[in-house]
Amino acid sequence: MIACCLALTAQGQGKKRAANFNASKTKANANQFIEQQWWLGFKSGINWAQADPLKRYTILLPTNYSSSAVEKKYDAFQEIGIQTTVEISYYYKGFYFSTQPGYISSTFTYSNQLQWVNPTVSNEKLTQTYRQSQKVEYAEFPFIIKYDITGSKLRPYVQVGVFYSILLNAVKTVSVSSLDEAAGGTNTITSEPLIVGVKDLFSNYGGWMGGVGASYQLGNVRLVLDASYRQSLSNIVNPQNRFANDRLSGIGDAQDDLNLKNVVISAGVLFPLRYLSSNFKSNDR
Amino acid sequence: MKNSILLIFLIVLVSSCAKDSDLTTDQANFTRIYDNNKFDASNYPIDIKQTSDGGFLILGGRRLTDSNFSGAYLMKVDQLGMFVSELEVPSDKVTPIGPLLVVNDKYYFFTMTAIGLKTELHEVNADAAITKTIPVVGDGGGGYPAAAYNDNGRFLLLRYDNVRKETVVDVVNTAGVTSSFIGFSVGRSDAVEAPIIEHFLRTGKQFPFQVGKTSSGNYFFNGFYNYTFSLVFTDLVSDQPGVVQGQQDDGGFSYLMPISGNSFAAARFNFGDNYLLPLVTLNPSDISSSVDLGGNNLPELANNAPVRIISATVNGKDLSLYGSNTRSKQISLYGYEKTTGKFLGSRYLGFSNPYEITAMTATKDGGLAVCGTTYVAGRFPRICLFKISREELAKSFK
Repeated sequence: MIACCLALTAQGQGKKRAANFNASKTKANANQFIEQQWWLGFKSGINWAQADPLKRYTILLPTNYSSSAVEKKYDAFQEIGIQTTVEISYYYKGFYFSTQPGYISSTFTYSNQLQWVNPTVSNEKLTQTYRQSQKVEYAEFPFIIKYDITGSKLRPYVQVGVFYSILLNAVKTVSVSSLDEAAGGTNTITSEPLIVGVKDLFSNYGGWMGGVGASYQLGNVRLVLDASYRQSLSNIVNPQNRFANDRLSGIGDAQDDLNLKNVVISAGVLFPLRYLSSNFKSNDR
Repeated sequence: MKNSILLIFLIVLVSSCAKDSDLTTDQANFTRIYDNNKFDASNYPIDIKQTSDGGFLILGGRRLTDSNFSGAYLMKVDQLGMFVSELEVPSDKVTPIGPLLVVNDKYYFFTMTAIGLKTELHEVNADAAITKTIPVVGDGGGGYPAAAYNDNGRFLLLRYDNVRKETVVDVVNTAGVTSSFIGFSVGRSDAVEAPIIEHFLRTGKQFPFQVGKTSSGNYFFNGFYNYTFSLVFTDLVSDQPGVVQGQQDDGGFSYLMPISGNSFAAARFNFGDNYLLPLVTLNPSDISSSVDLGGNNLPELANNAPVRIISATVNGKDLSLYGSNTRSKQISLYGYEKTTGKFLGSRYLGFSNPYEITAMTATKDGGLAVCGTTYVAGRFPRICLFKISREELAKSFK
């Protein structure tokens, strides 16, 4: 909505300016337009996240078996998150210098398993599976350089950039399921998930991103579809508060130091902000 | 333009490098549970001491399959609480008692032999290895050790003498030689002896046996005397002690920490209820009743909850720091100003699985280590360790 209002405002200003142009300058301006332009738009889409442990932490320490048996296993790009951004880009000779502030919500998952056995009756055992789903929400402030590979109506592009993410919220959901084979039979027990606010457990972080996309000229606007890969350049976890949450410590969860990766797909629309009139189309003529 | 782009990249890079974990942060706060994947493994802690390398030495007990008594267990963890080593002391040594007694960087604890029921003193190094086992000679060798105290390099040993039916305080040196002792009759009745023996077998109520010395030089013990679980003051000579009586085996003191003179930070139990007395003056030469002492009743505490009290300095204030167990199966900590008894705050540890306190120790970095038992998966008793930083303590006890 905001983007549309801005576009209409820009369009009105463009009309006033266009009325003052004299015919002799038209060609020169058109050429200038081709070389540089401001674009404003918005994009939304979905993302998949994966967390990679930089340094592992655990509460449960085995004394008579290998610690690898209780190690957390991180799922790769399994849960879907959403993101929405406002894009402000300056185009100059095929390059876009773009900032795309927005909101991104990502969910990554991991699990670990514990097992206890009766040494005298080997088929008597208890297996517990802890499944953790971690949702993190950030306000993102990227700076991106895009390059149009071709200048046709359909313009594929490549992009690379950096971003800084400010933590808005974080929620962890822990589900525990047990397979009890020690009570005279086989019993599967699933408890209600524990949902804990864990904003203190995470922090702001910076990262880099790269990707590909394409825009399609439709009248004066461009429809955009792009895909990018993002990765934090540092630990996203606040180490000061790793053990601060008694609810998580109590059930044996300590957050590893993490590197966050996202695969992001977004679609949107861009509006030109300069020379927008019936005489000057935003696409090159 | 180029400079602006470079600046943006630089800002992001610099901001990304500010919050990595480091050793100081990692050892300031942590929670650990030491797990064994055997169904029948059952370890419980008795005491914890911080070693000179910043790690911790934990004395514990363990379930034995070939004895009705508990066996001894030692564990070493490093300054991050990571498991280093453990020692399951052979099952011919039973009923280990705390605290770990530190003399010249060596650690000592008492057990008794499974056969013959004779007291032994074990010398342990900081790596949880027993370097020497010394049979206690003289009266102290008589078995059933219940509590100990380090009196400037010599040990006060509180034990139950099942032949004389006495609670005995022995003075034992690091060579295991008893230099003096005094015994007080518990009363000649099976009704008195039964709960004592059940305590040692861990089949009944666990009594808060304790022996110690006040700053004014009075010795005291918390144990059975004259048919009642009582606090008894003794000079180790006179058989006419000062007594603060309990209620047979249903009341008495849970723990005492001498503050100065005859002042104590204490806790008492009475028919399941628990009362904290952050500053109480006791008469060491008279006979009185613990019931008359009042105290802060904390209904949130479990029935006859075990209590530990240590001195700690938080926010520049000297605290009497209490640790106990709640009905909701958490470990609770309460801080009181040492000299006034003023309440300063509380903190709770643990969630979901049950947690029970056993011991606390102030750490060299100004923090606190709390050792206890948790029941992993709600059923397997395992040793747990909480490390709380100086900063976290300051937030809880203002």
